[in-house]
Amino acid sequence: MINITINGKRMRAKNGETILEIAERSGIRIPTLCYHKDLTPFGGCRLCIVEVKGRKIPLTACTLIAEEGMVIKTATPRLQKLRRFTLQLILSEHPNACLVCERESDCANFQECIKKSAVTFGCKSCPQNDNCELQDLVHELDIRSIPFQFRYRDLEVERHDPFFDRDYNLCILCGRCIRMCDEIRQANTLQFHHRGPDTMVGTAFDLPHLESGCQFCGACVDVCPTGALRDRFSRYDKPPDKSIKTSCMLCSIGCALNINITGGKMTCSTPRNDQICVRGRFGIAPLVNHPKRITKPMIRKGGQLVEVDWEEALEFAGKKLKENRNRTGMLISPQLTTGAIDGARSCAHSLGARIATPISLHSLPGIYKLSQIQGQVAFFIVNTDMVGDFAVLLLKLRKKFKDKAVFIVIDATRNSSARFADLVLNPRPGTENNLIRILTDPRKILNKSGIPAAAIETARSLLKGRKIYALFNAENFIPAGPSKSVKPVPLHSHVNAEKIMKNVPNDTYGTLLKDKKIECLYLIGAAPKLNRKYNTLIVQDLFLPDFDCDVFLPAAAFVETDGSIIDLEGKKKQVRKALEPAGKSRSDEWILANLVRVMNSKLKRSVRAKKSKNGQQKKLVRPSAKYPLQLVIRENTYGYRSKPLSAILKGFDRMRHDRYLWLNEKTAKKCGLQDGTYVNVVSRHAGFKLPVKIDPDIPDKTALLYYHPSMGYIPEEPVRLECIK
Amino acid sequence: MRKKKINREFRQHLLVCAGTGCVANHSFEIKEELEKEIVRKDLQDEIQVVTTGCQGFCERGPIVIVQPDGIFYQRIKKKDIPHLVEEHLLKGRPVNDLMYVPAPEERPVPKMMDIDFFKHQRLIILRNRGRLDPENIEEYIGFDGYKAMELALTKMSSEEIIREVKRAGLRGRGGAGFPTGKKWALCRKEPGRIKYLICNGDEGDPGAFMDRSVLEADPHSVIEGMVIGAKAIGAHQGFVYVRSEYPLAVKRLKIALEQAEAYGLLGENILGTGFNFHIDVVQGAGAFVCGEETALIASIEGRVGRPKQRPPYPSQAGLWGKPTNINNVETWANVPMIILRGAKWFSSIGTETSRGTKIFSLVGKINNTGLVEVPMGITMREIIYDIGGGIPQGKEFKAVQTGGPSGGCIPKKMLDLPIDYESLTQAGSMMGSGGMIVMDEDTCMVDVARYFLNFTQEESCGKCPPCRMGTKHMVYILDRITQGSGMPEDIKLLESIAENVELASLCGLGQTAPNPVLTTLRYFRDEYLAHINEKRCPALVCKTLISYVIDPQLCGGCTVCAKKCPSNAISGEPKKIYTIDQAKCTKCGICITVCPPKFNAVKKVSPAVK
Repeated sequence: MINITINGKRMRAKNGETILEIAERSGIRIPTLCYHKDLTPFGGCRLCIVEVKGRKIPLTACTLIAEEGMVIKTATPRLQKLRRFTLQLILSEHPNACLVCERESDCANFQECIKKSAVTFGCKSCPQNDNCELQDLVHELDIRSIPFQFRYRDLEVERHDPFFDRDYNLCILCGRCIRMCDEIRQANTLQFHHRGPDTMVGTAFDLPHLESGCQFCGACVDVCPTGALRDRFSRYDKPPDKSIKTSCMLCSIGCALNINITGGKMTCSTPRNDQICVRGRFGIAPLVNHPKRITKPMIRKGGQLVEVDWEEALEFAGKKLKENRNRTGMLISPQLTTGAIDGARSCAHSLGARIATPISLHSLPGIYKLSQIQGQVAFFIVNTDMVGDFAVLLLKLRKKFKDKAVFIVIDATRNSSARFADLVLNPRPGTENNLIRILTDPRKILNKSGIPAAAIETARSLLKGRKIYALFNAENFIPAGPSKSVKPVPLHSHVNAEKIMKNVPNDTYGTLLKDKKIECLYLIGAAPKLNRKYNTLIVQDLFLPDFDCDVFLPAAAFVETDGSIIDLEGKKKQVRKALEPAGKSRSDEWILANLVRVMNSKLKRSVRAKKSKNGQQKKLVRPSAKYPLQLVIRENTYGYRSKPLSAILKGFDRMRHDRYLWLNEKTAKKCGLQDGTYVNVVSRHAGFKLPVKIDPDIPDKTALLYYHPSMGYIPEEPVRLECIK
Repeated sequence: MRKKKINREFRQHLLVCAGTGCVANHSFEIKEELEKEIVRKDLQDEIQVVTTGCQGFCERGPIVIVQPDGIFYQRIKKKDIPHLVEEHLLKGRPVNDLMYVPAPEERPVPKMMDIDFFKHQRLIILRNRGRLDPENIEEYIGFDGYKAMELALTKMSSEEIIREVKRAGLRGRGGAGFPTGKKWALCRKEPGRIKYLICNGDEGDPGAFMDRSVLEADPHSVIEGMVIGAKAIGAHQGFVYVRSEYPLAVKRLKIALEQAEAYGLLGENILGTGFNFHIDVVQGAGAFVCGEETALIASIEGRVGRPKQRPPYPSQAGLWGKPTNINNVETWANVPMIILRGAKWFSSIGTETSRGTKIFSLVGKINNTGLVEVPMGITMREIIYDIGGGIPQGKEFKAVQTGGPSGGCIPKKMLDLPIDYESLTQAGSMMGSGGMIVMDEDTCMVDVARYFLNFTQEESCGKCPPCRMGTKHMVYILDRITQGSGMPEDIKLLESIAENVELASLCGLGQTAPNPVLTTLRYFRDEYLAHINEKRCPALVCKTLISYVIDPQLCGGCTVCAKKCPSNAISGEPKKIYTIDQAKCTKCGICITVCPPKFNAVKKVSPAVK
């Protein structure tokens, strides 16, 4: 412990504490701008300067580590003068018309709408009005005028990337976004450009964020103290008046979210404790408020879907289901609350219906509790885009092991984890297990992967003396049998995967849809491509499916209901109702309970499902003359219930291109294809049409597809491309 | 590695200066031509031509010195060579026409040691300049080179070395003047096995070329100093950070490092003592701010050259987080002499608080432009008049800017100021790296302040608002003042911004950037007032405030100015009076240059405007 004096008062400090940290915990106010408690101190904004006895020049409190006997003053007239001077300088480059206008309070009553102007010329037209740290500091330091001439940078507002806008005319160069992206998110997308008065924040070579490795996690937007970076969807909304905690349901990690609500409308979701990904940050509010969302119950009458009230819809649905007893199939999404899943199971049981989920491979042996990963480690990232699909999990691992873990990517095609991995290996599709054996088994093994010996040697030297864990999405890869040297860490991308694996029978959409006995389908959060007619189709979801249905029951989004979910590690998490369900929509649990009431059936005790089999090894069929392209399928983890996010939100389509067929230049040229051209894809058992996306990281004679059940049945077998005339 | 045969049979040596200035003036060609001519006259076994580092008298380059005669030849051209070789080397008759004639005298001064410029200097750091080939380590060794290092490594402990340097009173020659021995002691006492040594050769001040000359003329002195420092501190790896605009310095340094290693004087097991020390050269990339020590360290680490708030100081956590000692080139070059001749000898030179000598680059409106090394405490008057030869064309001395863009100006009334760290700081300026820019009556002090502030504003790294924007706003105001749009409150605003930038900036660049403004305001406030209140530039420099006019009483109607004017602004008839159309005039100054001296009719004026 150290003794120091602040403002005449004696204080005790721990070794290594900065003056700012000591002041904050003692209730002494020191203004800051570039400081953020999670980021390394920058010392750049000069607002937190304090006077240190024995020194002529004031020092920044955020960087100054306390030393025995230090005497500090935090609020002298000289410091106030310097702080005001510095803030005035900052304001000389920031549209400040409103900040120092004496009619500020009058204006508030009359000028709400000008916020929607194209150019931010002052606070009133800025999306961060009343939610801005610069505004707060101007009031705190009582700045009434700015003696410097104003310099407007005259930069175009950057709107070409999805999800958030950047108006660098408002940037005060605090560097928080850069340090957040570098230190916490480790995406390294932003930096200071140029120097001196021309300094500006930007990406490498001023490329769009889509091409700079930006993960669109929104962390930079959340730390920006001004309106320079802003969430596009909530731009025009007032700051939230309510903030409700819930868990995200868009993937299995279940991050803690704040649902921000203004006047009863959800404006955006932000991280609560930790980090979140682009889905949780930018995918929820536009989804919940989507103009194509159906919020009224509907029944098909006379060939058209007609709005009805709940009683009529439930009566009709219940009647049809009872008529099709023992001939009904229920397809449910895992993205329901556990209560809804239980409700669906009971409903299925009472109807004698088969029930199916999109989870094709059930429990695999391996590590599910991530705290078990310890020591000198190396990770194989197999066929899984950790950065895209499990960003928050990856961050936790990288944070835990800092620079000491080794990451090796094993993937036949493009994988954005290659950006930071120590080594990237691209084996031939289907040979991943062979490669893993070669890398870890000291005996001589025949190399079928196509990886040259030099790379294998490099990999082996990296792995020396380390415990090896294989991270993989269980839908994309199954490890071959138990191994002493490699511990599998199977990652299911769906929330509630564990519950479904334990309690729901081992049926996938595909197997159920092949069952010719089924005449009626009840789809809860599911809308796979159907290949035949059914006498009744009941859809319970937020959006209409691509096919005609007989009954539409509008479901509430997960932020509109209470419930629980099971996350990746098997932990139970709560989902909270943050706002009333839109329109007439209702929670799945409510719908199921009332459906059962209407059907008047007694709920028999649900029978425990049979113990599911371990995943079968996929045998990869080799290409032939008739089907010369190897089709590689990866799970599209960006979806909510029946829809991939890219199908309903344009930003995700632009970011992911996950409803495209990915080819490299050579393959595309052979068939005269360009980016965006539609092509017929034909395999032995399937045929479908997709637009093309050209990417250099796809190997020759290979096509990559991100699979979502809404695409229908697509087996992972060789294909050929047929041009559409 | 070249091994030159030390042949005692040469009766004369021709030392050709090969500092950057003379090289730019074709001194290598001079050398080649000399060698060829000597072969033609069959003198190659009697006379040797050697290239040396900068002689210092850059005004007079290319320079050739004949030893052992000590004759100093200047402004040598290729065509002079046959005559020179014939007359002086063959017939023994030195050539008067090629010798130095101090203005305004008429008789030449043949011997180098009699020339005022050299006579008043005291060469310690530059002791070897002009007398050895910097690309040959044996010549350095021949002049007691590496003897101090041997002493330090074999007969002294680290503490003894530090004590000696402390007693000598050596202060950092890079600008701040921090006591070197104290700095070494701070680094030494830090725990940890890994420590680093850095030599700061960034020398960003415009007009400064001291460090360049030391590196080009005598790189071994720096290397030797660094090894001694490494022993004192306990470092085994050193870096010399040289700006990439000094390719010759980098080249000579690298050759010197190679040779030192080959001779066992650097690297593993130096002189068999078991002490290891390696030096690597790192080149800068064009940023003035990388002369600041934390930015320099960031640059070596491969990161952007942006300073960090200190503390922690580099001596505690510097390069890669390890205790690091950074000193300027000149500081390192002093160390071998201190060890060899002792602290007592060193502290006998200079003043009480500023011991030793300092190299200054004397440039601007001065007769003898060049590099001078003088003991501290010498007065400004002595440097400018005795060594510098006074102001050319008989103009009045106005001020001298010391310390480059971080320093301030010293006016005429303070010419007897002794030059040392304290007195310069008290006068509002600073020693800085040693640049001395002399200004005469034709220099506008407001323009000078604007020039320096423009420089610092461009070189600002941009991290902190006071420097990034404070300097920019000062430039805006100075621009307005020099363009005739100055307002009465501008001076007060300028002063207040300057004072605040000094206190609120993160690093030395911002903290010293306002100095030129503050000193010019302190000593030449009347010029500011003239610009603002009367829209007049007393020195006739600020283009917007001056006009070129033809005096009707002097004009001879010769038509020359009208013909040469690039904007066709001058009109008149032959043998009649010509006039300049102010609306078309671009103030290029050609008319004043071409007007025949017998008329001298074109005048620059800056009338007061109410």
